[in-house]
Amino acid sequence: MTKVEAIIQNSKLEAVKSALQDIGVEGMTVMEVRGHGRQKGHTEVYRGREYSVDLIPKTKLELVLADPMVEKAVQAILGAARTGKIGDGKIFLSHIDDAIRIRNEERGEGSL
Amino acid sequence: MTVSSSSTGELRDSLQEESARIQQEFEATGDGRAAVAARTQLVEQILKKLWLRLVSPQEQGPRNCALVATGGFGRGWLFPYSDIDLLFLFADRDAEQAFKDPIQRFSQELWDLRLKLSPASRTLAECDRFDPNNTEFTISLLDCRYLTGDRDLFARLHGKVIPKLVVRESKALIQGLAEVTRQRHAKHGNTLFHLEPNLKESPGGLRDYNVACWLALISAMDKLRDWPDASSLRAPVRKQLEAALDFLMAARCFLHFRHGRDDNTLSWEAQDEAAARKIGAPESPELTAADWMRIYFGHARPVQRAVEQLLEEIPDAWSSLYRQFQSWRSRLSTPDFSVVDGLIFLQQPSALQDPEILLRLFHFMAHHGLKLSTTTEYRIEQTLPALASTPPRGAELWLYLQETLLQPHAAEALRAMHSLRLLTLLLPELKPIDALVVRDFYHRFTVDEHSFLAIESLHRLNQSQSEWDKRYAELLGELEDPELLYLALLLHDTGKGEPGRNHVEGSLEIAEQCMDRLDMDPGERATVLFLIGSHLEMSATLRRDIFNPETVAAFAEKVGTPERLKMLCLLTYADMKAVNPEALTPWKAENVWQLYISAANHLNRSADQRVHGDVDDEKVARLRSLASVTSNKFKSFLEGFPQRYLRVHSAEEVMRHMEMANHFGEDPVQVELKRGRHWYELTLVTRDRPFLFATLAGVLAAWGMNIVKANAFSNQAGTVVDSLYFTDSFRTLELNLSEWGRFKRSITDVLLGEADLARMLRDRQRSEKGAIAKVKVETRIDFDHSCSSTSTLVQVIAQDRPRLLHRIASCFSDQKCNIEIALIDTEGQMAIDAFYLTFNGAKLTPEHCKRVENALVEELSAKN
Repeated sequence: MTKVEAIIQNSKLEAVKSALQDIGVEGMTVMEVRGHGRQKGHTEVYRGREYSVDLIPKTKLELVLADPMVEKAVQAILGAARTGKIGDGKIFLSHIDDAIRIRNEERGEGSL
Repeated sequence: MTVSSSSTGELRDSLQEESARIQQEFEATGDGRAAVAARTQLVEQILKKLWLRLVSPQEQGPRNCALVATGGFGRGWLFPYSDIDLLFLFADRDAEQAFKDPIQRFSQELWDLRLKLSPASRTLAECDRFDPNNTEFTISLLDCRYLTGDRDLFARLHGKVIPKLVVRESKALIQGLAEVTRQRHAKHGNTLFHLEPNLKESPGGLRDYNVACWLALISAMDKLRDWPDASSLRAPVRKQLEAALDFLMAARCFLHFRHGRDDNTLSWEAQDEAAARKIGAPESPELTAADWMRIYFGHARPVQRAVEQLLEEIPDAWSSLYRQFQSWRSRLSTPDFSVVDGLIFLQQPSALQDPEILLRLFHFMAHHGLKLSTTTEYRIEQTLPALASTPPRGAELWLYLQETLLQPHAAEALRAMHSLRLLTLLLPELKPIDALVVRDFYHRFTVDEHSFLAIESLHRLNQSQSEWDKRYAELLGELEDPELLYLALLLHDTGKGEPGRNHVEGSLEIAEQCMDRLDMDPGERATVLFLIGSHLEMSATLRRDIFNPETVAAFAEKVGTPERLKMLCLLTYADMKAVNPEALTPWKAENVWQLYISAANHLNRSADQRVHGDVDDEKVARLRSLASVTSNKFKSFLEGFPQRYLRVHSAEEVMRHMEMANHFGEDPVQVELKRGRHWYELTLVTRDRPFLFATLAGVLAAWGMNIVKANAFSNQAGTVVDSLYFTDSFRTLELNLSEWGRFKRSITDVLLGEADLARMLRDRQRSEKGAIAKVKVETRIDFDHSCSSTSTLVQVIAQDRPRLLHRIASCFSDQKCNIEIALIDTEGQMAIDAFYLTFNGAKLTPEHCKRVENALVEELSAKN
C-alpha cells in the first residue's frame, strides 16, 4: 500500500476529486493547509497597510491506495491539478505497512 | 408483573419478557409516560425481590439500612436504557460495614441481570454534608423515594436531613445548578435549534425540565423550610411544560428502543422514523421530518424559556457581582419600562395596546441586552391576537426594525420576538424558516437560528480579541447603511423554506415581498437584493484561484462598488461563522480577507474604465428606459463617465444629475444639498475648470465641514459630477435652516469668482483650536502607472485634519494636474484618497510624479 499526499491549489480540488473518482478512488482526506515551495509569498497593500501572505493557502489530499492503483491516481492528480505555472503543488508517495478498519478490525488492503 | 422466582436466570427471563412487553406497548400506544412508569415499576419489583433474598428476608428490614431510589429513578422516570440511580443509605459507619458484603452481592446480581446501576453508598450524616464539587448528589436527593429497608431511616433522611440541608445550602445549590446549566447550554451553543439535537442535554431538553423543577423546588423549600406541595411551578407554566414533557418522554423512549442504548441524539434517520411514526404527536396528520422537528422545537422552546427565566429571577442563581451589575442597570428604567435585576417590566401594563410601545420594548431590549420578565412576556402574548388583525407595517415598522437591528443585542431581541411569535406576525415572510431543519453536512442549526447567529456574529466583532474579527470589525464600522446588511442576513436563507428550488431565487422573491411590506426605498431594496442574490458569490470565488488577477477582476466587476464589496465580505464572513462554531477556520477567514483586499484594490485601480452611452448594460438599459424622451441628450451626458460613476449612483440619481446639467443655461453651478442619516450629501454639477475640486473642498473646509467621503467624475463633454459626504462639526446646518441657502450660495459664489476663498479659509483658521490627533498616521504616497491606460493613479494616505482634501487637491492643481476621478474615504483618523490624474490628457511622466510627490510631502508636513 502507498500513501499519496498531494498539495494542490484550492481551485483545483473539485477537478482532482472528480478525476480520482473517475478512476475508482473512493476515499480521501482533505485538509486546509498553508505553505510555500518555490512560489514565495504575495504582498497586497490595502489602505497603506501591507498584507503579506508568506504561506499561501493550499489544499492537501491524503489517500492510501493499493499499489496497482497508485500510478493511475498520480496521473489523475497531475492531469487535473496542472496549470504549468509555479504554485501547482507537489505529490509525495510513501510506503504504508498496514491499515486497520476501526469498525471491524479488518487489516491490510481489504480495509481501504 | 409479579416476580415469581428469585433465581437469577428466572429473574433475567422475566425482565426480558416484561421489557419486551413494555416496548410493544409503547410501539402500540406511543405513550412515553406509561413506558417509563412501567419500567420503573418493573425494576422496583426486581430490586425488592433481590433485596429480600440477598440483604434481608424481613419486610422493611434490615434496621439501619435502606434502599432509596434517587435521580430519574426516584422521580419514577426510568427510561428504557437509562442508568438506575440508587442510594444505599446507612444509619452510621458500623451499619455500612455490617452490610458491605450483602450489598456487594446485591449490586453484582443486578449487573448480572444487565441492569446498569449508578449507585451511591452514604451514611445519614454524609447525606447531610454538602460538597460543592458534587452538587449532583445533593440534587439527586431532591427526587429520593423509599424502596425497601429501614423505613424510619428513610423518613429521617426525607423529613429532616434533606429539608435542613436544602435550607442551609440553598444559595450554593442554586448557584451550582445555575453554573452547571449555563456551562451545558454554552456547550450546545446556547441554542435549542440544532439540526440533530440531544433530547436530554440540549437546551430545552429533559435536563432543562428537571432543572426548572429543582430550581422551583429549592426556592419553595427555602421559603417553607419543608417540602412544598407537588406543584411548585406556576400553573400556566406547568401546564405548558407538561405537554412538552409528554412529547419529550415519548421521543426519548423511542430513541432508546430504536438505538438499544441510552443514546438521546435525534439523528436525521431517527427524525425520519419519528415523523413516520408520529412519535409524541399521534393526533397529527401525515408529518414530514421537518414538520415533526417543528413540533419538537415548539415543545423545547417553553422548557428553555422556563429554565432561563427561573435562572434570571431567582436571586441566588447569580453571583453577587452580577447582581450588583443588574441592580445598577435598574437606572436604565424609562417612563415606559422599568428594569429590575436585569429584567424589563412595563410601567403601564396596558401600554402594549400601542404597537409603537411594543416595538420600542424590543429596541430597548436590543440596546441594553436585558431580558423580558415573565409578566412582560405574558402581557405580550395577551396582546398578539389584537395585533394580528392590524399589524404595524410600512415605513414605521422598517424604522423600528432597522433601529433594533443596529443595536448590539439585536439577535437576542429577535430571538425573543421569534419565541413569542411576534417576529413572524410582523414579518410573515420568516414563517417558512421557523425552526426549519435543512439537512446538510455542515450546518448545525435551524435556518432561523442560523440567521440570528449571523447577525449576532457581526455585532460581536467589536468585542472580539481575534485578529480576524478585529479586521472585519473595522470594515463594519465603515459601512454607510449597516442596517441593510443585517436585514439581508435576516432574509438571506428564507428561500430554504421552499424545498426543491434554488434557495437564492426563493430568498430574493421573499425579500421583495418583505421589503414591500416595509415600504423601503428603491436604493435600499437594490442593496438588500444584491446582497441576498450574491450571498454565495464570494464562497464560490474562493473555490477558484484568488491569486489570479482575472478571478479577482471578474468577482470585483460583479460586485461593482467598494461599499457593496464591504457588505458582501461581511455577509460572507457572518454567514460562514453561523454555520457551526468550527466552520470559519483561520484559513477561510484569511482567504475571504485576501479576496476582499484584492477586489477592493481592483475596484480602485479600474475606476476609470469609461462608459459609452450605447453599450448594452443592465444599468444603462434601465437609464435608457427612464430617459426615453431625451435619449440623445442622455447618450451624450453618459458618454465618457467612468464605469464607477454608474456603479456608485442609482439610476434615479443619474437622471437627477442629467436634469441639473440641463439647467446650466440658468445657473452654471448646480448645487444640491441633502441630509442623510449619517452625513450631509452635497452634489455639484457644473463645467470642469482648473482647481474645481480643490475649491469645492476648500469651501466646505471654510464652513467647518468635515469631508468623510467624496467622488468626483467627469464626462467627455466636460460636465463634472462631484458628490461630497460630510459631517457638520459645528452643527451650523443642523441648528440654522437659514444657513442652508447661504452655504449653497457661497459655493456658487466662490466657484464663479464672486467670493474670496482664501479669506474664508483664513477666518476659519483663526477660529479653530489645534486638535491633537489620537492616532498618528504616517503619510504614504503611492503612484501607479499600470492600472489605467490614460491616467496615473495616486493614492494618498494621511492623518485626517481640517482642509486636508483642499490642500491635496490644490497641490495637484498647482502642479498642473487634472483630477479625472477622485475617490475619497476616511477610516477613523486616516484619510485614504485616490486620484486619477492626467497632464494634457495623458499620464504623468516619472519626473512630473516626482514633482507632485515632493509638493505633496512638503504640503502635508507643513503645520497648517
